[in-house]
Amino acid sequence: MNVTFNKRDPIYLQVMQYFKRLIVSGELNLGDEMPSRRQLANQLKINPNTVQRAYSEMEEQRLIYTEPNRPSRVTEDPAVLNQLKKEWLDQAVSKFVSALDPIDIPLDDIVDLIKDKMNMRKKDD
Amino acid sequence: MIELKNVHKHFGRKKVLDGISFTANKGEITCLVGVNGVGKTTILNAIMNLTPIKKGEITIDGELMRPDLYNKVAFIPDVAIMLPNMTVHEAMDFMKDYYVSWNCKRAKEITRFFRLNLTEKISELSKGNQAKVNLLMGLALDVDYILMDEPFSGIDIFTREQITDVFSSRLVEDRGVLITTHEIFDIEHLIDKVVLLDNGVIYKEFNAEEMRETEGKSVVDVMREAYNR
Repeated sequence: MNVTFNKRDPIYLQVMQYFKRLIVSGELNLGDEMPSRRQLANQLKINPNTVQRAYSEMEEQRLIYTEPNRPSRVTEDPAVLNQLKKEWLDQAVSKFVSALDPIDIPLDDIVDLIKDKMNMRKKDD
Repeated sequence: MIELKNVHKHFGRKKVLDGISFTANKGEITCLVGVNGVGKTTILNAIMNLTPIKKGEITIDGELMRPDLYNKVAFIPDVAIMLPNMTVHEAMDFMKDYYVSWNCKRAKEITRFFRLNLTEKISELSKGNQAKVNLLMGLALDVDYILMDEPFSGIDIFTREQITDVFSSRLVEDRGVLITTHEIFDIEHLIDKVVLLDNGVIYKEFNAEEMRETEGKSVVDVMREAYNR
């Protein structure tokens, strides 16, 4: 597990983003055990209170759940996963669209290019 | 909580601390930051009453500092604290005899954590390993607060990594840690609170994560603002 943190963004948000990525990509499955807070702080070399905050926020967003005296786990609710994937897509597309702002290109050309690139990636896999 | 209220200290005519107030909480890592000579070490010495203050108040858990309260605090200076002729093991035995709060189990855990060779003489250890022995002596005490003076000064990068690992480990769990340093860069993500000193006064006291969240600034950004004025 290795994460490079940006020094100007809140660390708890970066930790959340890291786990969201693991969940949407399927590297963490629904119901999988999360590392303990202390273990994660130690691995990522960050403040344990920050990890606590990230876990609390993820609990609030129902990405993970914790039963008393048990390790936290990734949600088992597929609806939460779908919602997360939607958010992930929305963020990625918004970022992409705003990157196109400075140039004026017909939408159809962009769509064609996206199709080409996605097909290329599929072939690579 | 260790609290300083309006603390003043002079060395002769030189004002070193000119009305310092801040708190260091349990369960948090508080970092006193500032360039050399701004009074960081003087503050730790004042808390430990190694240098009496001229004006102001220092309390621990709401009570004015007095001798019996010092068993709540361990002070780890940046100079060797044990006799150089002792082996690490002898130093540990000495601490065990001398301090009721010495925790043998934790001491052993720390020697493993730092990979220290117990049979080596302290004088023959590298500077980095001597620093680890210093930390061992303080961290193995069952105390609520740990003060560390410049734990990274003159330490090689690999030892630094091992020392920074202490801050996210169980070794300081639920304790209040107050450290002084002018080298903040690789511990920015490990600390809760920053107290930025400038010429005997506090320029700013802030929570590092809150600073990132509300102003989008790293600890080093804030330091730059303070010292480039």
